[in-house]
Amino acid sequence: MTKSFIWRIVDVIVGGIFIYAGVIKMLDPVQFANDIDNYKTLPWFFSVRLAFYLPWLEIFCGLAVIFRFLYRGGLSILMALIALFIAATIAARARGLDITCGCFGHASQHWSFPQHMAVDIAIFVGLIALWCSSRAQARSQL
Amino acid sequence: MKLRAVREGLLLIALACLPAIGEGIYFRDKISWQSSIPASELVTVDQARAWGDGAIWVDARPDEEFARDHVPGAFSLNEDRWNELLPQFLPNWSPEKKVVVYCSAESCNAARDVAKRLRDDAQLRDVFVLQGGWEGWVKKNR
Repeated sequence: MTKSFIWRIVDVIVGGIFIYAGVIKMLDPVQFANDIDNYKTLPWFFSVRLAFYLPWLEIFCGLAVIFRFLYRGGLSILMALIALFIAATIAARARGLDITCGCFGHASQHWSFPQHMAVDIAIFVGLIALWCSSRAQARSQL
Repeated sequence: MKLRAVREGLLLIALACLPAIGEGIYFRDKISWQSSIPASELVTVDQARAWGDGAIWVDARPDEEFARDHVPGAFSLNEDRWNELLPQFLPNWSPEKKVVVYCSAESCNAARDVAKRLRDDAQLRDVFVLQGGWEGWVKKNR
């Protein structure tokens, strides 16, 4: 009982982080398109379209994690997104690009590279833990 | 379990499309879909040169690149030393002048970012980004 309550708290924290990050970016898609463009990985044509789509995907997946509806799908997408983001940030760093991810709006604007990495890895670990706990629960119900 | 996660993930991916399309329609006139800089904010080398003394040139590249070479009469104004360089630049600006900002090449973002800050932070009007950047200028002046 206590264990499942703790996992629910982790659900709310992790889901809430993605909802917050999604809402911030959804409110200013132009800035987010510029942030994606700064990675110099995609042409503007795709950056601008992703800037409209990704925030909503984050919000929907965050809600899925909080309300445990389409839960595993939400967790899988969020893990893929954060892994992709970590890889893109490392690649940008390796190419000497000074990028602002804009992931959390103005709050993250002046974060250093290690700070970005620490936050992203912590979220990634949280998602993996939730995934493992959900698997264990599913097995115990069999 | 994996199949279920994939199914749920695909559903979330599809669901997120709907508000993203709606937001895209809402922003359709407020964002440039084909280029990171709207066509109305771009200026070619020939157009900018035709403005003659009516144009004021701003070099958004790092100090060392500016020191190596720059458009004759250009002012250095990059984001690294923004607070220091902006007060040196502003006395040279007057309302009837058009500001032409450039960085290294077509693909760099520094000119776009400096132009945006000149419009938003310094409240300047008629701020343009040079198409092709410094490379474009050099090609035309060989």
